[in-house]
Parts: sequence; structure tokens; C-alpha cells
Amino acid sequence: MELSPHDQVEMYRLMLLDRRFTEHVLRWYKEGRITQGMHPNIGQEAVGVGACYGLSPQDWVIPSLRTSNAYWVRGVTLLQQINAMFGNAESISRGKETAHHAAYSEYGILPGTGIVGGSIPVAVGAALALRMQGTEFVVLAFFGDGASNRGDFHEALNMAALYKAPVVFVCENNLYGQTVAARSAMAITDIADRAIGYGMPGRIVDGQDVLAVFNATQDAVARARIGEGPTLLECKTYRFLAHYPIFEEDRPADEIAAWLERDPLTIQGARLTEGGLLDDGAIGEMDQAILQELDEAILQAEKAPFPDPDQVFQSIYAGPAEERWL
Amino acid sequence: MRTLRLNGAVREALAQEMARDERVFVFGEDVAHHGGVFRVTEGLLARFGPERVFDTPIAESGIVGLGVGAALMGMRPVAEIQFTDLITVGMDQLVSSAAKVRFVTDGAMHVPLVVRTVNLGKGTAYSGQALEAWFTHVPGLKVVVPSNPHDAKGLLISAIEDPDPVLFFEHRDLYSMAGPVPEERYTIPLGQAEVCREGSDVTIVAYSAMVGAAKEAAEALAGEGLDVEIIDLRTLVPFDGEAVVTSVCKTGRLVVAHEAVRRTGFGAEVVATIADSDAFGYLQAPIVRVANPNSPLPYSRSLHKYVLPGQEEILAAVRRVMTYV
Repeated sequence: MELSPHDQVEMYRLMLLDRRFTEHVLRWYKEGRITQGMHPNIGQEAVGVGACYGLSPQDWVIPSLRTSNAYWVRGVTLLQQINAMFGNAESISRGKETAHHAAYSEYGILPGTGIVGGSIPVAVGAALALRMQGTEFVVLAFFGDGASNRGDFHEALNMAALYKAPVVFVCENNLYGQTVAARSAMAITDIADRAIGYGMPGRIVDGQDVLAVFNATQDAVARARIGEGPTLLECKTYRFLAHYPIFEEDRPADEIAAWLERDPLTIQGARLTEGGLLDDGAIGEMDQAILQELDEAILQAEKAPFPDPDQVFQSIYAGPAEERWL
Repeated sequence: MRTLRLNGAVREALAQEMARDERVFVFGEDVAHHGGVFRVTEGLLARFGPERVFDTPIAESGIVGLGVGAALMGMRPVAEIQFTDLITVGMDQLVSSAAKVRFVTDGAMHVPLVVRTVNLGKGTAYSGQALEAWFTHVPGLKVVVPSNPHDAKGLLISAIEDPDPVLFFEHRDLYSMAGPVPEERYTIPLGQAEVCREGSDVTIVAYSAMVGAAKEAAEALAGEGLDVEIIDLRTLVPFDGEAVVTSVCKTGRLVVAHEAVRRTGFGAEVVATIADSDAFGYLQAPIVRVANPNSPLPYSRSLHKYVLPGQEEILAAVRRVMTYV
């Protein structure tokens, strides 16, 4: 896919939207307007946006805990995800699951699980199914550096390469698994190095540059579509905030400062303004529209009723709940 | 009627479903080229080809996860976990992926996955555990435990058709057991126990290989003038508690038998169901569970009889509930 000027601006807008979403959720949590915080991905917006931009609507993605941006690219609205965080009657799961593992079949988003790395083999199975069904569609599996230490990662990558599954593994290496630095959890620096051990290409990608992520993913997707098998993309990135709002932050200040210099919004914003595709006025208008959508969305989410308790037991097994042994 | 061994009945169910529904595929360790270590999948590769019958690496979590992903996309995967002890490696994918999808998506997505595995019975500490009760503790999973070739075929076809994830526990001792199996395709609904012997004095509830032991015990007890009723649960989830309650209301005495360990085994659920039900008032004796006395399985065959329950333990249990005053 060739990116038009409009696409480049749209990628910036999606990253800005994701940034504002996270900032607002954290604020609403602090204010007590929502009961659940979130695992902030500020600083990591380029990965999900760059990787998902340009996919076919019939491709599938499995976001990680921190890939909130993938949802916007696939077409999910702020209101839908805010409803999911409220767990209200309007939420996609009617209160059964929050936003970060939410599945939207109409947008090609598969459910994640609460187990780090657990969705990686699921992505391989989904990809094999797409091939068995005679399609050329692919699956993108997102996960962090921590997940790449789990057995599921190794089992899944081995099987994906063996079967040439049409899947792209997108590792969001933000250098920390909760509080433990990746350098304290693995003896290697580059997770991409693991790819060769499974017989697939591994690429290190600048995860702060949305176009770099886009280009690398497009290459990997093209390989997968023509039956050449999976690719491991290691997107080097950084979360600017702590793992979770209530966590004490103990990362080195100079490390944080160095990464703040590489803000994905600044990088793409500068590129667009230098190229004459965007100016401060246009960015301001874009921002205003997002802020208005967020304000309206939370008011609407607050007004929505909580889910009907009778429906809790209706989606454990198929069929009417009363016919089942609960 | 034509007779088949249980492994042949399972093979026929797989082949009939694969022929009928192109979404069905079979995969696992040694299932394709070798035809399965218990010959269950023999001939399927030649008939259906390598896209639909394939070997996997030794990677049980990957196997189950792959099945979940394919099922999410509308396929009907049938995974084999070579024996039950290995399923612990795939536990997370069963518990956190397969079992949860329907719930967390409010029914928008579901996982029509079957995981076949085998309780080895007379095995060792690492290969012989009966872990079926673990899966009954996870809402979202179904658990099937056939006791004979006829049921194995009909229940497996139901499991493959079922829209939810199903654990299907075969038993090694039953693979060599021949029994009548209709050639045509048929289903046995999940959640319906079978009264496989009618009687009025005492009820024995059993499943899988213990049904055979219960039948032998019942024959011996008939010689002593005791009229034994046997209920084969066939599935643990859904659990046909109603069948057990009805029977205990009639007989007033209950023995529950399984090879799994006694502590929080499925027998405990059967006993609790009676304690919670109208049958409680009909009980004429305490309920006795026949089970492994909470021990790992020793390697030496000479020690198996102290750990693995069988006909003798059932006989002793029935005599105990019959002589209670």
C-alpha cells in the first residue's frame, strides 16, 4: 500500500487520539469517574498504528495489554472502548470484559487473554485457519518483551515457521516487563535475534517512527500473504509512564529523559509540518475534535445503565441458560 | 451388530465427521504419519491429506492454543493430547483461552474445539493420572468420559458438533474393548447419563473404565441376591445430576466410583448433589466413594492394587452400604 498525504496525516491523528484517550482515562481514574485505571501506552502509539494501518478489513489482529491504538485503526470508536471500561450495558461484552482484551469480530479483533503471551499460539491457529479457508488474509499478534520469554512464544513461533502460517509477530519491546528491565529478564539485547532460531526473518524496527513500523509490517504482511510464512518484528519503544497508575516508578531518570526526546507524535508531527502537510492550526483543530469526542463519550458512558444481571449466565455455554447446569 | 474396539469407534467418528464437514481437522503428536500411539488416527492422513491431518511438535500449550485460534475462525479442530498427564502443559490455553472466549465476548465468538486425550489407568506417577475433575472446575469447558465403544462414537460426534470447547477423555483399558457400534453416523447428547443396569437395592455411579468394573461387581452381587442399579455418567459437564437423584430416591443407597483420586474428585460433586437434593431424605446409609486413596501412581505393578480401585473395592463399598444399620 502506498501512503497518500491524507494517510500520513491520519496516522498522526490516530496516534494523537490514542494519546488523548490514555491521558483522559488516567485523569478520570484519578478523579474517581471510572473505577478502573489502565496500563498506559503513552510513548508507544506508533507501533499499533503503524502496524495496523493498511491492513485489509478481513485481516485479524490480537492486541496486547497496551495496544489500545490498534482498536482505533481497525475502526472501533472511543465511545465503544470507554463503554467497555465502564462495564456498562452498552459495552461490547455487556460488562464481562474490559477494553484492553475486548474482541470486535466486525473489526477483525480477536480476544486477548489476561495471560502474558497466551494469545501468541492462538494467533498461529487463526492464521492457519485463514489459509485452510483459502483466503490470503493474515493475523497480526501483538505482545511485549516480557511475553517473548514465555513458553507460548517459543512454541508458537516454532509452529508458525514450521507450517508457514500467515502471521506477523509484532513485539512491542518497551524494555520493561512490569518493573523488571528486559536486560534483567533475558541475556540478549535484541528479541529479533530469536527469529533465526525458528527459521523466520527477524527485524529490528524503530518503534517510535510510525512510518518505519508501517513499512516493516507491510513487508512482513506481503510475505505472509503469498505463503512465505511468518516474520518477527521487534519494535523498539518505551512507555513514558509507569506500568500502572498506582505503581511506584523506579526507572532511571536519564533513561526516561532520553526516550522522551523520541516521542512518536513529535517525530511524525515534525515530518508532516516540514513537508507542508500539517501546521499548528490544523493540529489544534484535530486535537479539539478529539477532546470533544472524548468529553461526549464519557458523558454518554456515564449515562448508560449497568448490565442486566440476568444476562450474566447467558454466555458461558451455547443455548438457553436455564437448560444448563451452572 | 458389527463390533468395534473403542479406538476403532473413535477413528470412525473422526472419519465420518471429516467426510461430512470440511472444517474438521485432526492434529497432535504422532497422529498423522504414525497414526497415533494407540492407532486411533490410523489411515486418516492417507484419506484426508496433510492439510487436515498433521503432526505437531511436542508443544501441548501450542497445540491447544493453535486449536483455539482455528476454532475462533470457524474451523472445527480436534486436537490430540497423547495422554492426560501431558495436558497440564496445555492447561493455560484451556482455562484462559478456550474456556473464556464465549463469556468475554458475550457470545459473539466461541471455540468449537475438541481436545481428545487418554487416561492410561495402569501407568506410573507421570503417566497414569486421571485429571478429568480439574476441567469440571472451569466454567466454559465440557467434559466427556465414555465407557464403551458405542458411546465413544456417538459422544465424540456430539463433541465435534458442539459449539463449545470439549475435553474428551478416552481410557487405555477400553481401547481393546470390543462392543457393538452402528456403522451409520449417530450422536449421543452431552449431559445425558445412562442407566446401564436397572436395580432397586443400591445405585453405583461410575464413568469411563469404572463402569465395566461396576458391571462385574453387580453380576457378583446378583449372586448374593442384591439388585444393583448402575448409572454411567457419560459426561461430567454437563452433569446429569437429575439421573443420579432419581435413582437414589428409588434405591436409598449410593456408591460412587472413579479411578481419579478421592479428594475433590468428581465423586465429591456427585455426593454434594445428593446432599443438596430431595434424595437426601431417602438415604438409608452413608454414601461411599470408591477412588484412588489420594496417592500418585507407583511404578511397580505389584503396588497398583493398593492405589487403583477396581471391582473388589466396589464390592466392598456396596457391602458396606448394604450392611449399614
